[in-house]
Amino acid sequence: MPITLEIVTPDATVYSEEVDHVVVPTANGKIDILPHHVPVIDKLIAGDLKVEKNGTVEYLAVSSGFVEVYSEKVSILTDEALKINEQDDSKIEEAVKRAQEALSEGKKSNLDLAAIQKLEAATRFALAQQIAKGKSK
Amino acid sequence: MANTRDIRLRIKGVKSTRQITRAMQMVATSKMKKAQDAAKSGRPYAMLLADIIVSVADEFEEITHKYFNDRPVRHRGILVIGTDKGLCGALNSNLFRMLADVDSSAKFVSVGKRATQYLSRTHRDLLADFSLPDKPRYSDIKAIIEFLLRAYGDDQIDTIEVLHTGFINTLRQEPELVRLFPLNDLDEMSQKLHERFGVNDHDVPKDKREILIENRDEVLAELGTLYLKQQIHQMVMESQASEHSARMVAMKTATDNAGNLINDLTLQYNRARQAAITQEILEISAATLSN
Repeated sequence: MPITLEIVTPDATVYSEEVDHVVVPTANGKIDILPHHVPVIDKLIAGDLKVEKNGTVEYLAVSSGFVEVYSEKVSILTDEALKINEQDDSKIEEAVKRAQEALSEGKKSNLDLAAIQKLEAATRFALAQQIAKGKSK
Repeated sequence: MANTRDIRLRIKGVKSTRQITRAMQMVATSKMKKAQDAAKSGRPYAMLLADIIVSVADEFEEITHKYFNDRPVRHRGILVIGTDKGLCGALNSNLFRMLADVDSSAKFVSVGKRATQYLSRTHRDLLADFSLPDKPRYSDIKAIIEFLLRAYGDDQIDTIEVLHTGFINTLRQEPELVRLFPLNDLDEMSQKLHERFGVNDHDVPKDKREILIENRDEVLAELGTLYLKQQIHQMVMESQASEHSARMVAMKTATDNAGNLINDLTLQYNRARQAAITQEILEISAATLSN
């Protein structure tokens, strides 16, 4: 019996499909979600999200947010999410580099805390893309 | 009676005005479609977020966080979302009419040039003004949220309210004043959200979910911030959809009116021309008769 995975961001519903198995990165470590999972709410951290569907494995990069599992449905609430197979390597590497540079520069020039946190979140998301890409090979 | 040359000039003038209003109508139409779609695409996120906030907050016996607790209101904080440009019918004046009975202790933050102008003209206490690009991304409104939260945290303002134009359909937009913070009645918040988006599963209670979140105070604050951000984003999108719809309707009316005016003027022109010809013939025949 499949479960529904739904990933929503402020701009759109990025992903909504029936899948067999999901691994979600959370603040308490990765949680493995199979059908008949107990209802849960947890905090999502930036990382790679693994989706298994009809024997094929797909990776997505997600930013931080929240995850809810309820009645055979996994809902993910996050700022950003990307299907990693659609991205190419060089672009991701570039994004990581840009994010890290912006972060180190921001720290040097004493930006306020909120701005630095924003840069850190961007960096984490870029890194998450890289990790997910590495795994999907 | 005006002479034919004057009438011809006026027809020309009205025609070029019509051309402009027609072009503006086209532009508004295409922008309106995009803005309407964008306003709708944020809805699933809003529903899921509200659901998570309610479930997490349910776990608490008592919430002591500032975002969720009522406090005596000395200064209301109102964010007014107006437009940058005019020529959109009565959109802005309808919006500002809602402010007439807000007393003078309230403090304001404005988005859009028209709102800023109105607030300074009526000598309101304007804390800050922002401007947004045409298709605002989520990150564009971040500065506004941070400003509001800081003012709220420092007790400069005791509520966060938003005055915006709610989008109902292309022909109807209504100004709404919505209070977002403090979030003291979560049930009501969730119900309102369901009503607005026309989803009716509010009454179906969900079973308890296990909440694996540690450090709940911090998470509640984060959820509150996300809620504010999402709501304001949604309202900005709706205001833009309303603006473009109102402009399209206003420009369509203007184009139609210009068409009517041209018809009337053409009739007048032909009449004047005919009168002149008749006059000439009369003069000629009178002259031949007298000879």
